[in-house]
Amino acid sequence: MKSAALPTVFIIDDDKGMRQAIEDLVESVGLRAETFASGEEFLSRRHISGPSCLVLDVRLPQMSGLDFQRRLTETGTQIPIIFITAHGDVPMSVRALKSGAVEFLTKPFRDQDLLDAIQQALQHDRAAQEQQAEIHDLRERYHTLTAREREVMALVVSGMLNKQIASEIGASEATVKIHRGNAMHKMQAASVVDLVRMADKLKSPPCK
Amino acid sequence: MTNEDVQKTLAELSRDLQESKARLEEAQRVAHVGHWEWDLETDVVVWSDETYRIFGLIPQERPMDLATVRAMVHPEDREPLYQGVDEDLLAGVRPDAEFRIVRPNGEVRTVHSVTPKRWSSMPGDAKRDASGRPYKLFGTVQDITDRKRVEEALKQSQFYLSEGQRLAHMGSWAFNDSGHYWSDELYNIYGLDPQDGAPTVEQYLALIHPQDRPAMAQTIKRMQEEHSGFDQIERIVRPDGQLRYVRAVAVPVVEQDVFKGFIGTTMDVTEQEMLTQELRREQAYLAEAQSLTHIGSWATNFHTRQMFHLSDETFRLHGFDPKDSPIPLERFFDTIHPEDRPAVTATLEHAIHARTDYDIREFRVCLSDGSIRFLRTIGHHDPSAEMGYYIGITMDITERKRAEEEREKLRQLEADLAHVNRVNMMGELAAALAHEIRQPIAASITSANACLRWLARDPPDLERARAAASRIEQDGNRAADVISRLRSFYKKGTPPKRETVDIQEIIREMTALFKTEALRHSVRIHSELHEERPHVLADGVQLQQVFMNLMLNAIEAMKDSGGELTITSRPNPEGQLVVSISDTGVGLPADSAERIFDAFHTTKPQGTGMGLAITRSIVEAHGGHVWATANQGAGATFHFTLPAKAEARA
Repeated sequence: MKSAALPTVFIIDDDKGMRQAIEDLVESVGLRAETFASGEEFLSRRHISGPSCLVLDVRLPQMSGLDFQRRLTETGTQIPIIFITAHGDVPMSVRALKSGAVEFLTKPFRDQDLLDAIQQALQHDRAAQEQQAEIHDLRERYHTLTAREREVMALVVSGMLNKQIASEIGASEATVKIHRGNAMHKMQAASVVDLVRMADKLKSPPCK
Repeated sequence: MTNEDVQKTLAELSRDLQESKARLEEAQRVAHVGHWEWDLETDVVVWSDETYRIFGLIPQERPMDLATVRAMVHPEDREPLYQGVDEDLLAGVRPDAEFRIVRPNGEVRTVHSVTPKRWSSMPGDAKRDASGRPYKLFGTVQDITDRKRVEEALKQSQFYLSEGQRLAHMGSWAFNDSGHYWSDELYNIYGLDPQDGAPTVEQYLALIHPQDRPAMAQTIKRMQEEHSGFDQIERIVRPDGQLRYVRAVAVPVVEQDVFKGFIGTTMDVTEQEMLTQELRREQAYLAEAQSLTHIGSWATNFHTRQMFHLSDETFRLHGFDPKDSPIPLERFFDTIHPEDRPAVTATLEHAIHARTDYDIREFRVCLSDGSIRFLRTIGHHDPSAEMGYYIGITMDITERKRAEEEREKLRQLEADLAHVNRVNMMGELAAALAHEIRQPIAASITSANACLRWLARDPPDLERARAAASRIEQDGNRAADVISRLRSFYKKGTPPKRETVDIQEIIREMTALFKTEALRHSVRIHSELHEERPHVLADGVQLQQVFMNLMLNAIEAMKDSGGELTITSRPNPEGQLVVSISDTGVGLPADSAERIFDAFHTTKPQGTGMGLAITRSIVEAHGGHVWATANQGAGATFHFTLPAKAEARA
C-alpha cells in the first residue's frame, strides 16, 4: 500500500482577495491549499496526487463554474466540488448539486460551514482514491495472468466445478487445478470468495 | 192651235221660263255661282245677279263691259288672266282661272271662273260668227274665298304640325283598316324614305336593336291580339347604322265600343337618354365616392323639416337602409347619442337663427346594432335662401378617432415605459452593486475567520494572523471603493459610449415623450434653445436619462398645481454648454438643499433617492457638473454643464 499523500484543497476564484482569504483559512486548519484564478489555469497546472477537493466560484470570467464542472466530468476527472457564489439562486444550486457538487455555499459564508464541507469532501475523495488504488492493484495483478489462467478464473468465478471447467476448455481436471492455483496465487486471493470479490471490482470502469 | 192657245201656251211658257230663271237665280245665290256672257264684238258683258253680288255690286245696277270687269280684277292677277286670251280663244282653249277681285268696298275675294272647253250650242259655249270665229263667250264664276281660306288654314296647320313634329323629333302614326300612316318626321326619325311608304311589321322589327327586338315583337303581338297600347323606350338602328333611342307610345282607338286601330307617337329621346345615362353614371360615381370616404351629402330645411336631398351614404351613416326612404328628419336626430344631442341641437338652433354656417366636429350616433360611430357634420346656409335651409355633408370620423385613441394609448405606454425603465434600471443597479460589494465583504469575513484561527493556535501564529488582518483592511477598502463608485454605477469593464449628440434633438424627443404626462398634470413644456445646434460628445442614452430624471422631477413638483416647465440651453464663457430645466413647483427643501444629489436621499414618499445621484454621476462622467438653484418666484431650476464637442475630444 502507498502512503497517503497530504490532502490538498484547490481553490478557484477570480477574486484575488477571496482566493487568498480561503487559502489562509484552509491552511489555518493544517490543510494544503492551491489557488487558481480560472478553471483554465487549474486544468493546465493540475497534478493531483492524494485526496483533494475543489472550492469553485460559480461566476468566473470565461468558463463559468458550472461549465467547468461539466468539463471535469467529461474528461473523467473525479474530484468533489464545493461551490461558492456571491449571488446564488435556487435553480443554479440545484443544477450544481445534481451534477455531483458536495456543497453550495453563498458568500459570505460561515467559516465552519466551508471547513466542514471541505472535510467531508476530502473524506469522500480519500475513500474513492483508496478504492481506485485497490482496483489499480488488482488490474496490475490480473495483467500477470496467462490467457488460460484468465479463462479458468472467469469460469471459477461463475461458480463452475473443476470437472465442469475441464470439459468446458477441453483439458484434464489436473491441468485446471494448476491454472486455478496459479490464478489464485497471482491475484493474491485468500479464497474463492475473495477471488469473486476481486472479479467484481475489476468490472468497474477504469478511472484516472 | 189657236192664237189664244198660242197666247196661252206662250204665257205658260213665259211663266215657266220666269220660274226657271228664278230657280236658276236662287240656285246661283245659294251656291255663290254666277254666270256671264261676253260679247267679243261689242265687249259688252252680261252678268247674272249672283255675279254682281260676287263682285260686291247690286244686281244689274249698271251694264258691264270688259274694261270695267278688268278693272275689278286684283292688279296682281290682272296680267296673267288676260294675257294670251286671244290665242287661247283661237286655239279653242280657255282654261279655268282662279283669281282675286277687289270689291268696290276694297274687300278682296277669290273667284274661280270656268269656261267650257268645247264649243257647242249649249249655254256656256262660245258663239261663233260665220267665219267660225267665236263672238260670244259664256262662263261661270264662283266665289271660293271661304273655301280658299279653309284650304289655306289647313295647309298652315299641316305645316305647323309637321314643323312641330320636326322640332320635337316626334313622329306620329296611325294604323287602321284603311291603311298605315306615318308622318314625315317619323320617317325622318327612323331614317327611312317617305317615298317607300310605311314599313311592314317585319321591316319595322328589323330596325329595332337586336337586344330590344324580342321585347318589341312581344309588344306588337300583344297590340294585335289584345288591342292594348304601350309606352316604352327602345333602341333602333337606322339604315345608316346610327343608334338612336326612341320613346314609342301607342293608344288604341275605340269608337262606340268597336276597335278601329291604333294611333301613336314616336319621339327621338336619344339626347335625353344620353343625358339620363350620364346623370345616372355621375350619380353612381358620387355615391361610390361617398361610400368609399364615408361622406354623405344632404339638403334640408331644419325649420320646416323638409328634406330635399339625402345621399345613400347619409342614410348609412345614421344606420338606415337607403331603401327605407323616406325617413323623417326626427328619426335622424333620434340616432344621435343622448349625451351629445343637447349640444348638437343647441349648435344647430344657434346657426339657424343666426343664419350662419356650422361645423359640429364630433358627435356620436347609436346604430341599431348597438355600435357607436363618431360623425362630423358641416352645414352651409346661403343667407339669401329661406331660413333654416342648409346644404351640407356628414362624415364618419370613427376610424380617425380610434387612431387618435390608439396614438394616445401609445403615448401613455411610452411614458409608462419611461417609468418602468427607470425602476428597472434601479433594480439592475442594485443587483450589480450587491455583487460588487458582497465580494470584498465575504473575503474580509473569511480572512477574519482565518485570523481568529491563527490566533487560536497554540502558540498563536501571529505572522499569519497579521497577514489576515491586513487582507481584511484591503478588502474593507475595496468595499469602500465599490461604494464610492456607486454613483457612476457602470458595470466594471464597460466604458460609457462617446458619440456626437445633438442636445436639441434629445430635448425635442424628451419633450415629445413627456407631452402626455405633462398635459395630465396641466404642465406646459417649452424650450428656449440657443440658435447654434450644440453638439457634444456623450452617451446619448445616458443624456436622455439625465433629461428624463430632471423633467420627471420638475413635472412631479408641479403635479398638484400645474405650471410651466422651461428648458434652456446656452453656452457659458468657459465654452461649456449650460442646460437648465426650470419648474414653477414646490421648490427645493430649505434644510437639505445641499444633500439632494446624495444617493438614497429623497423628499418624496415613493422616491428611491437615486434620480439625482444618477444624474450627477452621469453628468460628472461626461466632465460636467450639476447644481440646483431656487427660483425668484416659485419652483427650482436644475442646471448642468457639458463640455462642447471640441473640448470633450481633447
